[in-house]
Amino acid sequence: MLKIPRKTRRAIAPYALALPGAVLLFIFFYGVINGVFQGFGIMPFLGRIEFTLDYYIEAFTRSDLSSSIVYSLYLSAVSAVLAIIGGVAISAVMTRARTSRLTRLVNIQIPIMTMHSLVALAVICLFTGSGLFPRLLYHLGIVSDPNTFVSVVGASSGWGIILVYLWKEIPFVAFCTVTIMANISDSLGEAAATLGANPLKTFFTVTLPLCKGAIVKAFLIVFTFAFGSYEVPFLLGPTLPKAMPVLAYIEFQDPDIINRCYAMALNGIMVLICSLFALVYFIVLQRERKGRM
Amino acid sequence: MAASNAAATRRKKRNGKPFSKLFVAIHVLIVLLPISVIAVWACADRWQWPLLLPEEFSMRGIEEVLFSSNGQGLAVMGQSIAIAFAVAVLTTIVAAMAARAICNYTWVGRNAYSFLLVVPFLIPTTVFAMGVQVLFIHAGIARTVFGVILAHSICALPYAVTIMIDVTRAAGTRLEDAARTLGAGPLRSFVSTTLPALMPGILSSISMSYILSFSQYFLTLLIGGGAVRTFATVMFPYLSGGDRTIAAAYGISFILATFVVFLIFEWLLRRFGLGKRTDLYG
Amino acid sequence: MHLTFDHISLALSGKTILDDISFEVADGEFVSILGESGAGKSTTLKVVAGLIPQDEGSVLFDGQPVDDLPTHKRSCAIVFQDIRLFPNMNVQDNVAFPLKMQGVAKAERLRVAQEMLEAVKLPDMGTRRVHELSGGQQQRVALARALAGHPRAILLDEPFSGLDEQLREEMRSLVLSLHERFGMTSLMVTHDPDEALTMSDRIVYVSEGKLIQEGTPADLLLRPRNQLVASCFGDTSAIEGAVAEEVFRVGKLEVPAPEVADGPAVLVRVQGSVPFVHSLEAPAAALPASEEGR
Repeated sequence: MLKIPRKTRRAIAPYALALPGAVLLFIFFYGVINGVFQGFGIMPFLGRIEFTLDYYIEAFTRSDLSSSIVYSLYLSAVSAVLAIIGGVAISAVMTRARTSRLTRLVNIQIPIMTMHSLVALAVICLFTGSGLFPRLLYHLGIVSDPNTFVSVVGASSGWGIILVYLWKEIPFVAFCTVTIMANISDSLGEAAATLGANPLKTFFTVTLPLCKGAIVKAFLIVFTFAFGSYEVPFLLGPTLPKAMPVLAYIEFQDPDIINRCYAMALNGIMVLICSLFALVYFIVLQRERKGRM
Repeated sequence: MAASNAAATRRKKRNGKPFSKLFVAIHVLIVLLPISVIAVWACADRWQWPLLLPEEFSMRGIEEVLFSSNGQGLAVMGQSIAIAFAVAVLTTIVAAMAARAICNYTWVGRNAYSFLLVVPFLIPTTVFAMGVQVLFIHAGIARTVFGVILAHSICALPYAVTIMIDVTRAAGTRLEDAARTLGAGPLRSFVSTTLPALMPGILSSISMSYILSFSQYFLTLLIGGGAVRTFATVMFPYLSGGDRTIAAAYGISFILATFVVFLIFEWLLRRFGLGKRTDLYG
Repeated sequence: MHLTFDHISLALSGKTILDDISFEVADGEFVSILGESGAGKSTTLKVVAGLIPQDEGSVLFDGQPVDDLPTHKRSCAIVFQDIRLFPNMNVQDNVAFPLKMQGVAKAERLRVAQEMLEAVKLPDMGTRRVHELSGGQQQRVALARALAGHPRAILLDEPFSGLDEQLREEMRSLVLSLHERFGMTSLMVTHDPDEALTMSDRIVYVSEGKLIQEGTPADLLLRPRNQLVASCFGDTSAIEGAVAEEVFRVGKLEVPAPEVADGPAVLVRVQGSVPFVHSLEAPAAALPASEEGR
C-alpha cells in the first residue's frame, strides 16, 4: 500500500472534505449559469450559439414583463421589511417573556414546518368572498352577501401573498435571532440594566446593533425567497401583473422555444437583482469578520 | 397572607412581563388559526354561507387522501418520506464535511468556498430549477428519484451548512486532540468526542433538510416531471381549486406527517440529553 | 448609600439559594461576601441589583424598600466576573454608557469617560475597540464604566478571578484606591479569603445560602464562629504585612501584635491553631533550635 506522508495527508484533507459540497455547488451554478445563458439566446443543445440581448431588452420593454418585475420587487420588499420588523419584535418579546420550550415549538417551529401553499390555502379559506372572515363580518352585520367582500385571491395589492409570507417568515426571522438575543439578554442585557439602561434603551443601544449581522442575513433570505417563489403568487396572485416566477414558468412551458428565452431572460434579471443583494451581504460579512478580529 | 401574596407577585414578575406575554400569546393564536381552519375544512362535508361552522362532518377527504387517490395515497406519502430522509441524510453528511473543512483547516480557497456555499440562499429555487432541468434531462437523471434527491439536496445545502458550521466551530478540536494524545485513532477520537458535540446540529440539520425536501413543490415538478410523485406535487392541483375538503385533507395530513417526524427528532434530542435547557437562569 | 438586606429568601427551580439572609452595608463601606462557590454569593448581588426578585424579605436603600424598583432605576453598577463590555462600542463609549443613559450631553460624557479612564490608568485607550484590550485592561474598563455613572452602590462579582496572580494584586490595590477616592458603598463577592481579609471593612461569610458569620476581617480570622469559618482561613499560607505600634496591618486587615517589633512582619496561619504575627526582622538566633538541624 502506498504510504502518503502525514503532511501531505493533512494538506489534502480539507479538499477531500470540501469535495462533495463542491460537486453539489458545481451542479447548482452550472444550472443557474446555463439558464442565464439561454436568456442570451445561447442553447448549445439546440445548436444555437449566437449571442443576443434581444430577450433581455424585450423583458424590460414588453409591458407585461416589466410590470411583473416591478410587482415582484414590491411583493418581496414589503414582505421582507415587515417580516424583519415582526420577527425581531417577536424575538425580543419572547426573550423578555422567557417563553417556554412548548411556546417556541408552536410559534416558531410550526410555521417553519408548514408549506407555503398550505398557508395560501388557509388564507383562501379565510379571506375569499365565501371565506370565514366575511362570514364573521356578516354576523356582525357589516357584509350582506359573499359578493360584497373583496376576495383576497387575485387582489392586485397582493396583500394575501404578503400575509402568507409574513405568517411564514416572521417566525423564521425570529428563529434566526432568538438565540443571539437570549444570550445578549443574559449577559450584556444585565450589564446594561445595572448601568441604568431601561429595557427599550438596552434593546436599541446593545441588542439591535449586535444582532445586525443575523438580521441582514435573514432579510436577504426572506427577500430572495419571496422574490423567487412560485407557489404563493400562483395560488393567490392577480391575472395581471403576474409575479416574475409565475410568468417565467408560463413562458418556460410554452412549446415555442423562443419563449423559453424570455423565461430565461426573466430568470437572468432575477439572478442579477439577487446577486446585487449577495454582494451587499458579502460586504457586510467581511466587515463583521473584521470587526470580530 | 400579605407576605405570601407579595412573594407570589414577585415570582410572577420573574416569570415574565405581562405585555410581552400577551404579545407572544397573540402570535401563538395567529399561528394556530390557519392550521385549525384547515383542520376543520378537512372534516367538513357541507359548509354553506354564512354559517361559522360546518353543518355536516365526514371523513371523506381523509379517506380520499390516504386510500382512493388513484389507489396510491399511502404509497405517495411513503415515497415522499423516503425521498426527504435520503435528502436529509445526504445533505447533512455533505454539510458536516464541508463545515469541518471550513472550521478546522486553513487552506487556499476556504473563504471563497464558505461564501459560495451560502449563495444558493440568495438565488431563487425557481431560477435554479428551470436552468438545471435541461442538464438533468441530458444526464438521464430527470424523472428519476435520484435526480429529485440530488436537486433537493442542493437546495437544502446552505441551510444545513449554516447549522453545521455553527456547531462545528463551537465544538472545536480541543477534545478530539485530547483523545488523540491519549492514544485513540482519528476515527475513534472523532466518534467519541466531536460527534456527540455535533449531535444537536446534526439533528437540526437533518430535520431542516427533511422539511425543505418534503415541502418542495416547484423543483420536484420540474425535475420529477410527473414521474416522481411526492405529496407536495400530488396535493398542489387540489389547492388551486376544486374540492376544498380534499385540499384541506391533504393539507392536514401533510402538516401531521411533518410534525410527527419533527417530534421524533425532538424526542431523540432529549433522549440523548442534548436538548438545550432554556430554563430561567440555567 | 446605606444598604440593608432584610431577611431575604430565594428559591430557584425548587432549590433554596438564599435562606433568610440579613446584613447591612453602611454608606461608603466596603463589605465582602465570602464563601465557597455555589454558596449563593453571586445571587445576593443580583438580588441587590434587582436582576432576580427575591421570594421573601426586602432590600432597602437608605431605609427605603426598593423591591418594586426595576434594575435600571436602582443605580447599582455590577462589575461582572466575565467583564461584559459592549463589543459594539469602543472603550470610551463603554465607559460613557451609564452617562448616556442618564441623558448627559455628549461632550460632558466623553470628558467624564476620559477622567475615569485616567483613574483606572488607561488614559490613551479611549478609542480602542474592546477586543483589542487584554483581560486585565478590559476589567479596568469595566471598573471605569461602573464608576462613571456615580452609582449609589458598586457591586463586584468575583472581579479578579479571571486574572493572573500579579494582575490580581494590581487590581486589588486599584479598587481600594478608587474606593478611597470616590467613597462609594461597595459590596464584593469573593471565594478568596486573602482578598476578603485585606480589602474589606467587614466580611459576611455565607455557606449553602445561610449567613454564618459577619464581622471585621480580624473578627473572622481570630474569632471564627465555627469550624467552617475557621477552616476557610485555616490553610497554612502566610500574609505579608507590617507591624506598627503593636498592630499588624495589611490592606485593611488589622490584627493586634503584642510585643512584636515595628517593621515588616508576616501573619502566619497554621491549621488548628490561633494565627500569630512573626516579625521578619527578628534576629536569626531567635529561631527555634530545632530549625537548625535542617
